[in-house]
Amino acid sequence: MTLRPARAWVRRPAAGLAVLLLVALGAVAAVAARGPAPAATPTDRVQAIASGLRCPTCRDLSVADSPAPLARQMRNQIAEGLQAGKSPEAIRREFVAAYGESVLLVPPRRGVGLVAWVAPALLLAGGLLAAVLVVRRWRARGAAAAGGPSATPRTSRADRALLQRALARFEEDGP
Amino acid sequence: MTGSARAMPAAAGTAADQRRPRRVPLLLATVAAVVALAAWLLSVGLQRDPTAIRSPLLGRPAPDFALRTLDGDRVVRLGDLQGQVVVVNFWASWCAECRVEHPALNAAWSRFRDAGVVFVGVDFQDDRRGALAYLAETGTSWPVVADPGSRTALAYGVYGIPETFFIGPDGRVTAKQVGPVTYDQLVREITRLLPGRSG
Repeated sequence: MTLRPARAWVRRPAAGLAVLLLVALGAVAAVAARGPAPAATPTDRVQAIASGLRCPTCRDLSVADSPAPLARQMRNQIAEGLQAGKSPEAIRREFVAAYGESVLLVPPRRGVGLVAWVAPALLLAGGLLAAVLVVRRWRARGAAAAGGPSATPRTSRADRALLQRALARFEEDGP
Repeated sequence: MTGSARAMPAAAGTAADQRRPRRVPLLLATVAAVVALAAWLLSVGLQRDPTAIRSPLLGRPAPDFALRTLDGDRVVRLGDLQGQVVVVNFWASWCAECRVEHPALNAAWSRFRDAGVVFVGVDFQDDRRGALAYLAETGTSWPVVADPGSRTALAYGVYGIPETFFIGPDGRVTAKQVGPVTYDQLVREITRLLPGRSG
């Protein structure tokens, strides 16, 4: 009884792998949807906003990671904004108003930025689909080349008639 | 029996052979299209100056500021300059390219200073003594202000100096120059904003 599922996995490893993949993807999606843990201390809140902003005077470094004076001043400005009761979104909007959306390290989920969010999922789905199609074709071709019992659809009508007659004779003779 | 069994895989093979001539060019065309697209994006993207991003301030009201001059004499408030053409130049004494553009600024300033045009220099991440020495050395006569905490630079979206903003009489940003500004450019942008006077 307990061995049955195990045997099912052994018989269909591809299905097992697919289920594992789905579970892993689901977990990743759940973590991504929940986002980072809410920042506790004021410094954490500043870091959380700063890590999503590009340091203007550096190349591909966040305001949180950059030692540049301008990045330090941006962190100060974020801290002051938070102290004044501004929301993180309002603070980000201020920087976008001055620098444009390129100041955001995470692209917005609209307009051209949406491509960055959707493209990976589409490419992954397309790749999986292509892999499944290719594997199915390989298996069909392998089965056809082997010509063994798995090639039943390719048995001719004459063969099937012959088999039926043999079976009928066997049943007559059997009991 | 054995003959027909042997013929079957051969027949499947010819079916695959018939399919292949159609699929291979299609596959090659797809790969070529993807490679061409990537090459085009790279050729466009790599040649573009990453700092030359269109400022979102263009056409918008210029962020207001009230900053004290470096010598501490007075406060320059952008809001008070409404109705005039304002050229805001971000610079520093440590900035080599600012020295390059300085003669152009000087020439444009002496040409337009009495025509309702105001230049404001904003000292960017500089030490006050070095900045004052630079101003004395170059004989700068337009107001130059300090920007504590780079607040104004951040509000204007400054990437790297020198950067120059042109503000019309209505208080809106009409143009932005990243890098040394030329005399011709200063004249062109300023006269564009002074239709009645220099025409």
